[in-house]
Amino acid sequence: MRDTQTNTAPLLSVRDLSVRFRTGDGLVHAVNNVSFDIDVGEKLAVVGESGSGKSQIALAIMGLLAKNGEASGKIMFDGRDLLHLPLGELNKIRARQIGIIFQDPMSSLNPYMTIERQLAEIVELHEGASRRDARKRALEVMDAVQIPDARARLDAYPHEFSGGMRQRIVIAMALMCNPRLILADEPTTALDVTVQAQIMKLLGDIQRDMGTAVVLITHDLGVVAGFCDETLVLYGGCIMEQAPTLSIFDAPGHPYTRGLLRAVPNIEDPAASLAAIPGSPPSQRKPPAACPFAPRCVDAVDACHLTLPDLDGDGSKRACLRPVEVLT
Amino acid sequence: MLNFTLRRLFAVIPTILVLIVFSFYLMRLAPGGPFTSERPLPPAVMANVLERYGMDEPLHVQLWSYIKNIVLYFDFGPSFSQKDRTVNDVIAQGFPVTLTYGFWSAIFVLVCGVPLGIIAALRHNGFWDYTMTGLAIFSQIFPNFVLAPLMVLLFTLSWGLLPGGGWNGGQWQYIVMPAIALGTSYMAGVARLTRGSMLEVLNSPFIRTARAKGLPERTIIIRHALKPALLPTLTYMGPVFVYMITGSVFIDVFFSTGGIGQDFIDGAYSRDYSILLGLAILYSLLTFALTLMLDLLYAWIDPKVRSSMG
Repeated sequence: MRDTQTNTAPLLSVRDLSVRFRTGDGLVHAVNNVSFDIDVGEKLAVVGESGSGKSQIALAIMGLLAKNGEASGKIMFDGRDLLHLPLGELNKIRARQIGIIFQDPMSSLNPYMTIERQLAEIVELHEGASRRDARKRALEVMDAVQIPDARARLDAYPHEFSGGMRQRIVIAMALMCNPRLILADEPTTALDVTVQAQIMKLLGDIQRDMGTAVVLITHDLGVVAGFCDETLVLYGGCIMEQAPTLSIFDAPGHPYTRGLLRAVPNIEDPAASLAAIPGSPPSQRKPPAACPFAPRCVDAVDACHLTLPDLDGDGSKRACLRPVEVLT
Repeated sequence: MLNFTLRRLFAVIPTILVLIVFSFYLMRLAPGGPFTSERPLPPAVMANVLERYGMDEPLHVQLWSYIKNIVLYFDFGPSFSQKDRTVNDVIAQGFPVTLTYGFWSAIFVLVCGVPLGIIAALRHNGFWDYTMTGLAIFSQIFPNFVLAPLMVLLFTLSWGLLPGGGWNGGQWQYIVMPAIALGTSYMAGVARLTRGSMLEVLNSPFIRTARAKGLPERTIIIRHALKPALLPTLTYMGPVFVYMITGSVFIDVFFSTGGIGQDFIDGAYSRDYSILLGLAILYSLLTFALTLMLDLLYAWIDPKVRSSMG
């Protein structure tokens, strides 16, 4: 996909993004100097455990950080820095250019409005569609996300749908304006496994048909494996490794990535015990001065506790002084 | 919905019956009676009076004929203390007055309280928020028996703008002060409640979804946040309106409106059984009507409630 692209500028370019929150106990550094690009039609996974700052990246892109949050750096989209766009201009990009799928389908739909109104208002706003056209578009999108009997269910309220169906509606919302980029923030976390698979397949189909770029934010490596071209591993708000998804699975370069993979059950060797990563996630009260993973890393040497390594390497980049392949 | 309304209306009947029986016996248990006075009446006179009001019969017979008269003739009986007036007369004269300024008071509570709460929520932790919250707390603790004399002092005695009492057929000048004096502390309560629930709603995930759609803030508030933010206020307003009507005794007395509160007080002092019982029934009917109205309003707002009504 990247090679066939004539336009060399990436669709979205995030540079040195940091997100901090002012809390009662002082500043929390949720995201630290994160940089990445997404090309048109690319599928990027952002993987990390809870608290790694992955959702905050998506919220920062949309300008939806909580009130006590503050983002610095640059988020370039269409030659404009989203972080410094006035709200009115940002509102023209939200949903129309960048759609977002939130993780909790139970609470992210308005319980007091019909599905039809919640979908239709998006195209009424951005495309000036008439009520009737907007309704038609809502129906099309409901069909596209495979909600059975969509016509009859347009005027239903969110509580009349199951969790999986609601997640489809949330996805439908993101699709209303055919955005160029979709941020999917844990789109399957709230769902049971069989529904997860359906939703991921649906997302994949839509992505293929419409050529939309997707940022998939998840803690579930299994979801990433079959879906994304490129994977970005986040820990303590820092990028640990960025590599093509296949090579992440075949040959993880960062000890943290290796640890994550070992913590996933392997169907070919069910007897093998799961290896948890010892220790607990870092406190994010201070900006990291050294590798945030060093205190939990079995391969760490003294230098690891003192320096913050750069993201380095070609093709497969990792921020590590002693990457896995050097050790073996 | 119709089904629900009918079911609720039918439930009123047994509840009112229970209420009548309880209040009836409770009142008779209380010491004293409508005809006791410091100088006791001669026994012969007393027997005469009691017979005239049917109080010589056993209690359950009295109760039975009381209920029968209500059901058959909608007659709540004669007043014991006010000669030649029936309870129906008393209510017909006083209740419309109380209801009128109570209604305007409720309008004042909503029209001022809700917008103040919303503005405070939108300016969260700003100047207007602090000013509004401070004022609200102040007026919530400001009892109406302080506020009413103060208002009369200013608006009647100092500036001569409004009449200091009376009713005069319910001209607006006579309604303003009773309505505001009655409503102020509730208005403050509504403002605080609306502010709180608005803040909560504005932080909820579906508002974030609405922002992600690119909707302008004003549309988000009006279209997405207002309905859910008003639900707690609605719940609060039901009982508050009943309180306002029943608790308007002071207002009726202070402003001499001729409202029903004055009769309630007099009735309690003189053990006027039929007035008290009649008013108790009236108030409970009012409570029923309001609760039903609120439930229907709730159903109109919240689709979840609507579908559970069947």
